[in-house]
Formats: sequence, C-alpha cells, structure tokens
Amino acid sequence: MLYKILVVDDEAPVRDLLGDLFKKEDCLPITCGSGEEALAILNKETFDVVLLDIKLPGMSGLEVLKEIRAKFVNLPVVMITGFGFDEELIGKSKQLGCCGYIGKNMPVAQIIVTFMQFVKEAKERGNSFREGPASNEINYA
Amino acid sequence: MIPELIENAAVLMLYLDCDGNVALCNKKTESMIGVKPGDILGKNWLEVLFKDTSNAMKRDMFKAVLDDALTYKRAKDFECHLLSNHGDLRLICWNITPILDKNNQIQGSVLFGQDVTEIQERENSFKNIDDSLKNIISSINEYALYVVNLDGLITYFGMGCETMFGYNKPEIIFKHVSILHNIDKAALELGLILERVRLFGKHELEIELLTKAGRAIPVRLTINQFLDANNKLTGYIFIAKDITQTKKLEYQVFQAEKLAALGQLSAGMAHEINNPLFVVSGRLEMLRQEKLAPKLKETIDLIDSQVDRIRKLVDRILKFARKSTLALEPIDVNEIIELVLPLVHYNKLSPFKVEIKKSFEKNMPKVMASPDQLQEVFLNIIVNAYQSMPEGGVIKITTSSFQNLYAQVRIADTGSGISADNFKNIFMPFFSTKGQGLGLGLSICHNIIKNHNGSIELESRINQGTTFTIKLPFI
Repeated sequence: MLYKILVVDDEAPVRDLLGDLFKKEDCLPITCGSGEEALAILNKETFDVVLLDIKLPGMSGLEVLKEIRAKFVNLPVVMITGFGFDEELIGKSKQLGCCGYIGKNMPVAQIIVTFMQFVKEAKERGNSFREGPASNEINYA
Repeated sequence: MIPELIENAAVLMLYLDCDGNVALCNKKTESMIGVKPGDILGKNWLEVLFKDTSNAMKRDMFKAVLDDALTYKRAKDFECHLLSNHGDLRLICWNITPILDKNNQIQGSVLFGQDVTEIQERENSFKNIDDSLKNIISSINEYALYVVNLDGLITYFGMGCETMFGYNKPEIIFKHVSILHNIDKAALELGLILERVRLFGKHELEIELLTKAGRAIPVRLTINQFLDANNKLTGYIFIAKDITQTKKLEYQVFQAEKLAALGQLSAGMAHEINNPLFVVSGRLEMLRQEKLAPKLKETIDLIDSQVDRIRKLVDRILKFARKSTLALEPIDVNEIIELVLPLVHYNKLSPFKVEIKKSFEKNMPKVMASPDQLQEVFLNIIVNAYQSMPEGGVIKITTSSFQNLYAQVRIADTGSGISADNFKNIFMPFFSTKGQGLGLGLSICHNIIKNHNGSIELESRINQGTTFTIKLPFI
C-alpha cells in the first residue's frame, strides 16, 4: 500500500469516485461526508494524507484544515474544490497550511498525478510521518 | 459765523492765491497734514501736498487741473491721496473753485477737500462681491436658466445656456422652446410639463434636451411659474442641470452591481456543475481503461469530448465570476501592450489589412497589476477591434498619464461600431454580437479592470468605430 488517504467530500458519487481512483493507485482510501466526521476519524486512526473538499455542510473545509493544523501539525492536507483555481481560496488554504490545491475541473488523470506529487513532496520535506492522536503534543509555537 | 463754520468744518478748506500759495486754511487741513497752525501759510500748496517727490506725476496732474480751473475760470474736481499725520493714505476728493473779483479777474482759488477713503473702500468691497458673484455664476456651467413666455417662445436665454445648448442668444430668442426638445416628443412633453406648472406652480423632472448640434443631454429640469407684479402668470422659468456625469456614474454602479450578482450566481452554478462533471469524466476515464468493444470505445470518446466542452465552458464562467486577489506587481502598461501585439496574430483575424498605430507616453509611472490578466484584457479588446473591421482599418492604441493619477490606455478602431441597443449589454456575460464565442470576453475584461481598481469605458458610433478607454491607478 502506497498511502492511507482520508477522503472528505459531502457528495457520495464524488468521494466514491475518488476512492475507486485511489484504490487503482494501490492506496487505501477511507471516505467520509463531513468535516466533523473527518476529525472524529482522525482522532482514532492515523493517515498519510487528507484530501479535503472546501465546500462542506457544517464546518467548511477551511475550518477543518485549521483544526487539523492545530491538532495534527505534520499531517499533509490537500484541498479540492469545484470552484476551480480561485486565487482567494488558494491563498486562504495556503495560509492555513495545506500542502496542495486541486480543482475538480482538471482532467481526472491529472488530478490523481498532481495529488500523488503533492503527497510525495510533503513526505520529502519530512512532515509526512504517520499521524495520530499522539501528535497532539507536538507544538510549533 | 461763517469763519467759525469754515474753521471747524469736517472738510479740508484752503484759499490759494494766484501763484498757488496757501493764503488761508482751516484746522482740519492742518491736523490732517500734521502741521502746526499757521505753518503752511504762504507755502506752495502743491509742494506741501506732495512733499513726497516720488509722486511727481500726480502732482503735475493736480497742477494741470488747478491751472485749468484758473485759466478757464471754472470749477474742477480732482482726486488724490494724502499722507495723513497718522501715516495712512487718505483718498481726498478735491473741488477747486476759482475766485473772481468784480472785474472778472482771478483772485485765487478755494479748495474743498473731502475724505472719501471709507466710501471708496465700501465701493471696492461691493465691486469684489459683484465680481465674485459673477465668477460663481459663470462657473456653474452645468446649469442653464431660460425663460419662456405663455406662447412658448424663449424670451430670456441666460447664464449657462449658450454653453449647454450651443446656441447663441440672438439665434434662439423668440424661437419656440420645442427647439430644445426631441421633435417626436416635444409637443407631448411640453404640454404635460406646462400643464403641471400651471396647476402646481412648479414641476421637476429628468429629461433629455437637444443641443444645437443635435446631441441629447440628460438634464434635471425644474420649471417654475414666472409671475408679474400682480401675481399674473406671464411665463415659465426653466432651470436645467446637466446630469451627464451623474447618469454615467449611476450606470457604472448599476452595471458593477449587476455583474457582481451575476458573478456570484455563476460561481455557485459552476461549482454545482463541476461536481457531477468530475464524477462523469472520472467514471468515463475508468471505463476507458477496461477492455471495450471498439464501437463502445468510440462512444466513450464522443461523450468524453462533450464533457470536455462543458468543462471548458464552466472554466470560462468561473474566470468571469472570480474575484481575483492575484499577486500584483509593478507593471509598465506600455510593455504589456507590446507583449500582447504579437499574440493578436495567432487569432483568426481578418485577411484585410489592419494597421496598428501606436502612440505611447514614455516614462509613465507603473501600475500594480497582474500581468497575465492585463494581457488578457488588452488582447481581448484588440481582437474585438480586428473583428469589427472585416474589411480592414486602423487600430489606434494610445497610452497617456491621466491627471497624474492613472495610466490611460485608449484603443480605438475604425470598425462597425456598436448600436445603442447592444451598447447597454456590452459587458454582460454571454452577450455577443459576433455569432461565435461565448460572449464572456468583455465581461471578464470588465471584472479584471474593476478588481484592479480601474475603470473601463467605451464610446461607439455605428460605422465609425469604437474606442475603449481603460484607466489603471498608478502605484
């Protein structure tokens, strides 16, 4: 298995597709439909990376990202959105500490390649070890 | 009694002999000049008065007046300044009367001098007020005031009218006021207006009036009754305020709001389309990797190409909707235009000759902008200009500094122009007169320029051409 990936998207057909695509890449995808669910799962399990939709019911993707950065400092998060390459959203996501940004309007094959590239780079930077609740103690400040 | 009166009078009084020497003078004269009683007796008056020799010209003028009075035996007036004992200059108005004996021979002359300094000052201040009023009135040139009599004839064509309407007084006085109205509507418009003024005493409305050259100007028109001393209606007073600028601003605000609302709607819509589209194209991609019959593979390719079309359309819509906060950098507008010009030729353009004339102001300050976005704007407008000239023409690109605040770029073509109906919609998304393309180009340009805190305007005349004016603030 290459990576264990948490896929967060409120639309079932979208997260199922992403799940199927990642399985083909020899990854282990776990999918869920909201930010609250995602945080609950992260508290129990460790992941290599989170693929996080920006527009979510309840907590927005950006709020979830903020929460993840606070609790799981080194867990790489890639943002994905149907708004395409919106400079404002990219800027905010970067500011909050995502390691990549993907528009759903990109061709599918390119989405997967780009995503894998983001994860690989994050690992090379050295902040991609398996994350879990224990990392709560790591404090950047 | 008389000597006493003379002695205590508030005016200056002197008696000069034939040679112009002081024979008598009252107290007021002595105190004003600041000499002891009797000090100036026997002295030449002009030398006393003009002890400051720098004022020789005035002294010679006084002498001439004095000589004239004596020679021709008539009274004369003269004004001159006198340096008082308090050190201030007083303006004195002199009356010179020759004194004759029984044989009509000159004995001397009597001078009355009245201090008119205060009166003069008051007059001057009135004159200043008058001047400044005239300045104020003549600088309010967006107002025009004219009066129409009960027969509808213009009887007064006042301040501001000539500037606003382009007629001069002689050619419009006693012409019917409908000359200033659109001929098709004049009767109805004026009928309604004057009826209301008769009934309510006053009427206000927004209307378009015509200049001599036939140009329509939007005005706010206020019409009042013109009453005579007996409160009888004798005509109507029209005051027209030019509201071209207000209208223009209102339109820009309206347009920007409309586009912002549309942008929001499109962004939401595009997002909703992108999600299912992503699923469709993703599933297609996965299907394609299966072993498929050739016929089925062909069908999948066809579906994929159509999905791709939708994706490109949605991308374009998102581009229009985007409120960009791109990294801005200092940019020389001239350089950006130079970069764009070679790109123009990659677009399928008219085979006829289009000449590009450049007139760039050198060493303009830079603007903060996204180079990619500015290139897109200029490319879009220049390509449009080409397309409006299928039989060839000239595109004139001018850059200049506007009021030292903005870089101004004007792109003028000699093409087909835009009709009044289309003009209103020119920045609307999905509006196109070309029958090709999506009609998003200019709406994207509009949004890009607005995001750069700039402005984009256009003027157009059918079959004469269109001019785009873009202003971007200097750093």
